[in-house]
Amino acid sequence: MRRRKWIVAATGITAALALAAAGALAADDVIKIGACQPITGRFAFAGVSINAGLQDYINYANENGLVKGKKLVYIYEDTGYDTDKAVATFKKIMAKDNPVIMYGDSTGLGKAIAPELNSRYKVLYGSTSFSSELADPKIHPYSFVSGPTYSDQFGILLEYIAKNHKGKGNPKVAFFYSDTEFGKDPIPYARKRAKELGIDVVSEIVTKVGAVDVTTEALALKKTQPDFCIFQGYVLAPIPQVIRTVRDYGLKTTFMGTFWSMDKSIIDKLGADAEGYMGVSPYAYYNEDAPGIQSMRKYNEKANPKEKSRPNSYIQGWFTGMVYVEAINKVLAAKKPVTGDNLKDAIGMIRDWDTGGVTGKVTFVNNKAAVGRVYRANVVKGIFEPVSDWIYVK
Amino acid sequence: MEDFLQMVASGVVIGGIYALIAMGFVVIYKATGVINFATGELMMLGAFFCFTGMTAAKFPFAAALLAAAMGAAALGALVERVVLRPLMGKATISVIMVTIGLSSIFKGAAQLVWSGDYRAFPPIFPRAPVRLGSVVLPSLQFYPFLIALASCALIALLFRFTRTGTAMRATADDPLAAFSMGIDIRRVFSLSWSLAAVTAALSGVVIGTMGGISPQLGAIGLKVFPVVILGGLDSIGGALLGGFLMGILENLAGGYLDPLVGGGIKEVAPFLVLVAILMVRPYGLFGTREIERL
Amino acid sequence: MRIGDYKETYAADEAIFRTPAVRVWMGALGATMLVFPFVAGDYLLYLANLIGVMIIGALGLNILTGFTGQISLGHAVFVGVGSYAAAIGATRLGLPFYLCIPLGGAAACVAGTVIGVPSLRVKGLYLAIATLSAQVILEWVFSNWDSVTGGIRGINVPPATLSGVSLNTDFRVYFLIYAVTAAFTYFARNLFRTRVGRAFIAIRDRDISAELMGINLFRYKILSFMVSSFYAGVAGAVWVYFAKVVTPEYFPLSLSIQFLAIVIVGGLGSIQGTILGAIFMTLVPELLKAGTEAVKPFFPDAMSYLFPLRDILFGALIVGFLIFEPHGLAEMWQRVKRYFALWPFRS
Repeated sequence: MRRRKWIVAATGITAALALAAAGALAADDVIKIGACQPITGRFAFAGVSINAGLQDYINYANENGLVKGKKLVYIYEDTGYDTDKAVATFKKIMAKDNPVIMYGDSTGLGKAIAPELNSRYKVLYGSTSFSSELADPKIHPYSFVSGPTYSDQFGILLEYIAKNHKGKGNPKVAFFYSDTEFGKDPIPYARKRAKELGIDVVSEIVTKVGAVDVTTEALALKKTQPDFCIFQGYVLAPIPQVIRTVRDYGLKTTFMGTFWSMDKSIIDKLGADAEGYMGVSPYAYYNEDAPGIQSMRKYNEKANPKEKSRPNSYIQGWFTGMVYVEAINKVLAAKKPVTGDNLKDAIGMIRDWDTGGVTGKVTFVNNKAAVGRVYRANVVKGIFEPVSDWIYVK
Repeated sequence: MEDFLQMVASGVVIGGIYALIAMGFVVIYKATGVINFATGELMMLGAFFCFTGMTAAKFPFAAALLAAAMGAAALGALVERVVLRPLMGKATISVIMVTIGLSSIFKGAAQLVWSGDYRAFPPIFPRAPVRLGSVVLPSLQFYPFLIALASCALIALLFRFTRTGTAMRATADDPLAAFSMGIDIRRVFSLSWSLAAVTAALSGVVIGTMGGISPQLGAIGLKVFPVVILGGLDSIGGALLGGFLMGILENLAGGYLDPLVGGGIKEVAPFLVLVAILMVRPYGLFGTREIERL
Repeated sequence: MRIGDYKETYAADEAIFRTPAVRVWMGALGATMLVFPFVAGDYLLYLANLIGVMIIGALGLNILTGFTGQISLGHAVFVGVGSYAAAIGATRLGLPFYLCIPLGGAAACVAGTVIGVPSLRVKGLYLAIATLSAQVILEWVFSNWDSVTGGIRGINVPPATLSGVSLNTDFRVYFLIYAVTAAFTYFARNLFRTRVGRAFIAIRDRDISAELMGINLFRYKILSFMVSSFYAGVAGAVWVYFAKVVTPEYFPLSLSIQFLAIVIVGGLGSIQGTILGAIFMTLVPELLKAGTEAVKPFFPDAMSYLFPLRDILFGALIVGFLIFEPHGLAEMWQRVKRYFALWPFRS
């Protein structure tokens, strides 16, 4: 009995010492970045890459001392791309580690957590989402979008169509989107912009994500014969089926996509049918030669030699990391404490920032950096090639 | 008119696939009275088995398909022995929930083994679409349809002309009478589950070739319910007819109603039909009316 | 086993808290729950609130499935109907929370009646399939009926206010949630002391005999479904004040299955079991998460296996309980109590 008391006492003292030591370590020289990542679930393949990109950039920043005198610590958890679980994960990370920066897995999380983010948590919030709703500084002052919103991206594509349309009459465009937030977000703006540019939206087709049979949708396209068809709200399925079926029906429509539908893997999956596939991307691709991309490749050669290529979701994570570090450095340069409020103000101060070609010159206005480039698939080389310069949307 | 024919033709094609899924479902229900909610996940596993056969073991498609069918049969028998046998005779809710639990286990296991990535089969069928008059059928729909049709025919023949098939039908009709005639009921139950797993696997491969494979593929298994309610929960012929009808109906609804409702009606239409049938003719086209005897 | 326990009045015999010991334990439980929010951390509070809402919903399902023997696979969308009704009441009609919560319950009740009437006429598994259709159809309605439900964007709901105090933190909402939970648990417990409750049980046990005894099967089945939907609606309405936003994504089929799992693992036909089941099924994934974090130093990839493992564990729990412990946690709890009550004699 007496021995047990000693053991209990010893354990208690050790635990207390360990806690104290941990507390001492968690001092001011550490900046914590938390993340809720969709590593499993519907968005899994993108989630794994985004997580890798963000984590890699943070390691890269630490290795190269990009933030003077501070170490960045990255804490992440899986959400399964489920809003409920994402909210729980967010609260858990905040409760346990109290980071000053968070990264979210979806538009749904951004909206669900907004009331508490604004009133209680007050951390800088970046995410996978390019939703125009999150770019509203009045409702979401702490969020930012890592580039142009979906509406901006649509705008870039529509302008490209208006400028490059050959043939008589107005260009005919179809919108093909999924019945999710991701799919529907830019559509009202897209309709308005199309009208302004003199583009006829000849049909709008809505499907569930991952629909298997796309016959009726393809028939709807066949009936209206659009010159261009823009996808929104899909990552892969059912884009290949739609393109294949429509080509089977003999249509010559040019297909376009926004960021998440513009990963190189689409060219691989489509094969010859990828000919002419175009879209807008806010970032350069992994195979390009911009200096920022080269450092990305050099880092990966050392740290992850097995990965021959990285998808565009990786670059989204990497770039978001760059934004975090830029904001932190601006706050430190102004000799202010690194808090969520100061960080969000710092985002607004980023002007004409040269990212080494990872994207165009970045200026954050209204929580977004509306810049992107139009790319076209090169089936022979299996990559996307830029067909325009960096376009800045007002 | 051309559009209508196109929609009907595509509807027949996808309906054939629904029919195959429904057949497996009805086989189990007829033989054991169990509503199998794991149908979708069995489909998904079958598709993954075939995919692994083709990519890891480098089998040609036909061999991989056969391997997948055999794997599924083994899985079905295992499931029956380990999970369903102990629950024989227990309340219906227990058995339904067990199949739901199984579907969860399968989904998690698939994600562990194959990761959540979306896979596509390597090219199996010729690329060119098939033309029947003015109707164009994409190759990725037509050839899988042939597979589905062949499977349905094979199963129907199995039931009609083999001893095993007759034994299964007898057990489904009246287990006690079949038992007293010397039929090994337990073996029949085992076989029914194997057969259901095989049909699920085949339909999974078919769906996989059309739309790609991922652990989420099982979600389409829910579509089996409108089909079997339409055809009758315990009628194999009903499953066939119901499948085709549902496929055509889905396409027509999508083609004509989508513009009015803003899209997505293809998912909901079969279930609206289901509710309507429940109200008007709950036993479906060919189902037997349940008469309760004291 | 209770000795020296005799009752002098019928009321005493029918009471819910029959012995002084039970009353003392109940008091202790009540005191613990009042003190809990003051000592618990943020995340635990969040979990506790979630459990409270799940208890209300699961109680409704247990009334339908455990006590009346009818299977519903669409419980989640009835919760959804309640949520949306409460959200619309709060945002568009400007009603206070104590009106919105019953409004949510009533809306779900109406929806339940509409689904229940055609499908309860026919015996067998048709209610299960009809509720499955309701699940699919209502989910679609939530996403597409933009003018009413806000479509994909959903509805943002301001926090409840009680005499000027805004219930905008997990701490404050806790009291609202558990007040409702306690009330509804008490009501459910009471229900099965009444004629109506006993009719439900009779229907579950042997419906032909019940009919012969004069119980109108259809009427009582519909009543059971209505009560169950009301509970679901209230759970949804309370949840709205907890999450402060409603979107169609919150009510998928997997939520219906989760409710069923809680009811089965907890024990069909046992109120206690439902509470135990809700706590268990919410905490087990958390334990799993803690486990994967503990092994992270050895298996850095453990995190990405968490969710598949969760699915497998969930399914395995359901299958395991059904095969080995069909009466669920309630039965396990009774066994534990019996063991201690009869100790040192074997139970």
